[in-house]
Amino acid sequence: MHGTVRMVLEVEGEKISSADVQIGYLHRCFEKESEYATWTQVFPYTDRLNYISPMLNNVGYAMAVEKLMGITAKIPERAQFIRVIVGEISRITDHMTCLGAGAMELGAFTPFLYLLKAREWLFELLEEVCGARLTVSYLRIGGCAYDLPEGFDGKLRDILARSRQVLVDVGKLLERNRIFRDRMDGIGVISKEDALAYGITGPVGRSTGLAYDVRKDAPYLVYDRFDFDVPVGSVGDNFDRYGVRVEEIHQSMRILEQALEKIPAGPVIVDDPKVALPPKNETYNSIEAMIAHFKIIMDGIHVPAGEVYSYTEAGNGELGFYLVSDGSGRPWKCRVRPPCFSSTSILPKILPGLFIADVVPTFGMINMIGGECDR
Amino acid sequence: MADNPAPAPAPSDQVTVTIDGRQHQFPKGTILVEACNQVGANVPFFCYHPGLSSPAVCRQCLVEVKGQPKPVPSCYTPVADKMEVQTASPKVLDVRRQMLEFTLVNHPIDCPICDKAGECMLQKHYFDWDGKYARNDGIKVRKDKVVDVGPHIVLDQERCILCTRCIRVCDEVAKVHQLEMADRGDHEVLTTAPGHRLDNPYSLNTVDVCPVGALTAKDFRFAMRAWELYSTPSVCAGCATGCNSDVHASRGRIYRLVPRPNPAVNKHWMCDEGRFTYKRIHADRLAAPMVAGVPVEWDRALDEAGRRLQAALDADPGSVGVVFNAQSTNEDLYALARLCFDHLRIGKAYLAGLPDGWHDDILVSADKNPNMAGARAVGAGRLHGLLELVTDLRAGALRGLLVVGTDGLLPAAAGAAATQPFEGIEGLVVLSTHRGPLLNVAQVAMPLAAWAEVDGTFTNRQGMVQRIRAAIPAAGDALPGWEILSHLARKLGAAMDFPDAKTVFLEAKQKLSFMKEADWGKPRLPVQLRFASSRG
Repeated sequence: MHGTVRMVLEVEGEKISSADVQIGYLHRCFEKESEYATWTQVFPYTDRLNYISPMLNNVGYAMAVEKLMGITAKIPERAQFIRVIVGEISRITDHMTCLGAGAMELGAFTPFLYLLKAREWLFELLEEVCGARLTVSYLRIGGCAYDLPEGFDGKLRDILARSRQVLVDVGKLLERNRIFRDRMDGIGVISKEDALAYGITGPVGRSTGLAYDVRKDAPYLVYDRFDFDVPVGSVGDNFDRYGVRVEEIHQSMRILEQALEKIPAGPVIVDDPKVALPPKNETYNSIEAMIAHFKIIMDGIHVPAGEVYSYTEAGNGELGFYLVSDGSGRPWKCRVRPPCFSSTSILPKILPGLFIADVVPTFGMINMIGGECDR
Repeated sequence: MADNPAPAPAPSDQVTVTIDGRQHQFPKGTILVEACNQVGANVPFFCYHPGLSSPAVCRQCLVEVKGQPKPVPSCYTPVADKMEVQTASPKVLDVRRQMLEFTLVNHPIDCPICDKAGECMLQKHYFDWDGKYARNDGIKVRKDKVVDVGPHIVLDQERCILCTRCIRVCDEVAKVHQLEMADRGDHEVLTTAPGHRLDNPYSLNTVDVCPVGALTAKDFRFAMRAWELYSTPSVCAGCATGCNSDVHASRGRIYRLVPRPNPAVNKHWMCDEGRFTYKRIHADRLAAPMVAGVPVEWDRALDEAGRRLQAALDADPGSVGVVFNAQSTNEDLYALARLCFDHLRIGKAYLAGLPDGWHDDILVSADKNPNMAGARAVGAGRLHGLLELVTDLRAGALRGLLVVGTDGLLPAAAGAAATQPFEGIEGLVVLSTHRGPLLNVAQVAMPLAAWAEVDGTFTNRQGMVQRIRAAIPAAGDALPGWEILSHLARKLGAAMDFPDAKTVFLEAKQKLSFMKEADWGKPRLPVQLRFASSRG
């Protein structure tokens, strides 16, 4: 079913009596590797955590390092808006992939193609921003690598309009589809208490009625300036998780439209040669900028000794980075709190009692991402 | 012996100094900059060097001392009782930044092509203490870029920040005045003294102490990026002094040797000759075992060597000789002594080594062998000279001969005739690091790992047992001496089998009095210089 996870089920006939979910097949030593990379060189690794929404991982990591350096307040406003925009685009692609793949696994291939078509529009837009669909590495400590491309505003509005139509079409195909509803409704129910106990956040947590969203409860960047709602479910079953994700796509679109309205002009990275790479013109024409460029590339940005936990709302919930610095240009420790690790860990509790076929939608709506869960 | 023995015990009278609000005790006479950096205040400097006098010319180490109207150069100020020092006050930071800005005004934009980049003190201090863009976009003063100042060194006058460290190295270490400052103001340049070149035997120390890339070694110039190198603490094998050094290597190749401070041996310095000893490791090496001049597998060579030595031993144990070498580590020497004296009861043992060469009163020893003291101590009077070896050979007294290390065994200028005395031996087994004429007449030749390829110890002329570490993998199939001897012992039915160099060392330490105090030290992996902070 899934290349990076293994489930050992004990069954009585078609009923599952116990489930053993074995993760770790996509372990890539993210945390150890980070100790040998400069703070900036960790960005490409974070792309590959939740690889469906790499921008959100970029945001989470950049925010953590900036918090450790104490420069969060100095990030230029435009950079903060750009982070919100690319982050919300990533959230939409994340949810679209989850919904599309979830439907496909239940035999509904058309919604999958529709949603991936819309996702492709967004990926192509991101490609225009940073040159890559998935391996974005777009953010930098202190801001963004470069500004948004020309005509970004119009293109995004156009894509949002078209994507809304896709969502309508998909809704029509799925929400009154007997097969889809039968396999989603009341299946894989997670109680609010269990969600809290397991530390489940994000769409899965909210489907249980837990209205926790880092963007609302501990606003970062400029999220407190936008008007958006946090959708919650009532039952905590698969269909609630589907519904929460659909609604979150709509809310992200709202945020995007507001952000496009409000985004100010200005620089996209802090003006500090110790943090941001100097402009090329300076680098080639002054020794000061040349040295700064050399040191940032070869030695890495010097992050003051200390430790920090910083958390943001990623596609699957609270993405936390716990960083320790010894004052050098490389992380001493870079620990990730992956949101879908918590969500996946509840599977052995909710699967028993279900039919074997119910594993498919339940696992699909949990949206385990190996890159993030195993790292 | 530890790699860096602690400095001599401090004099008893201490003074109390307040540094950044905290009180500390220092011995009277401590230089303030040392005191500050000992307690982690991290005061930057260019012209100060712990092994040299302080002229206080760079003004980078200025700190505030209570009661003084202006910031004082901490490299020129001894600590005094009840002194109150500020190393990070706004004024100090400002002065520090201004000095760097001043130094950088005429500094060329050379980092991408500069050999010092990555271990440059100017880069480090700018990034740590300045971190501002240039305010001055005037035209920089041009000076000479490639000045050939000596046989080993090229000077770039534009990069020079006029710290005078190199001048003081020549004056105070090599005791010759070969470098000078000329002209004034922003036209001031470093140059050779009238009628002189920078050709003293310690000239490359100027490259080490140069805080920037003004003085670069011709040997290392454009050869390798400093941060790509892996550093392994070791000891120079050029002579009996045993200067502590770091071997800088990358991908199995050594690029340079630099001195590692040890106040008991070499202070901060090393001679030019010693630095070039690494070249021999990469030239003309014996890479595979050979039987009758044909490369073979290790097993075949060991079988043949064992068979031939055994035949000679069976015929007459008195007709088998062994040649020790003063270039070997204590471990190799000990393993060989165990094998031939304790197990095989061989009576005829000789000691080879490179002949004496030039010397001075600074660092260079006449004895060009890194372990003569160790070889003599292991031999304990049982080793004969090479003259006796030749006499015995000519008399036909030797049926078998085991040579461990060929350095200095044949006179360098002797030519083909030198091997003639060895030709009659039926069992000539030679372990050698390098190719040489002796291998042509040897029945069995085995490749020996060189000093930079093995873990072990050398005993220097002071009797200090110092640790050397493997910096690069051994050339070809070469193995350390103790390992080859362990394999050979098995073929000869001797009960000697060492698993690693440390085991040999620990056993030798118990048996040999001169090694009693020796310490193997902790295992250390080579450190890539990019992970180390800038040297200076």
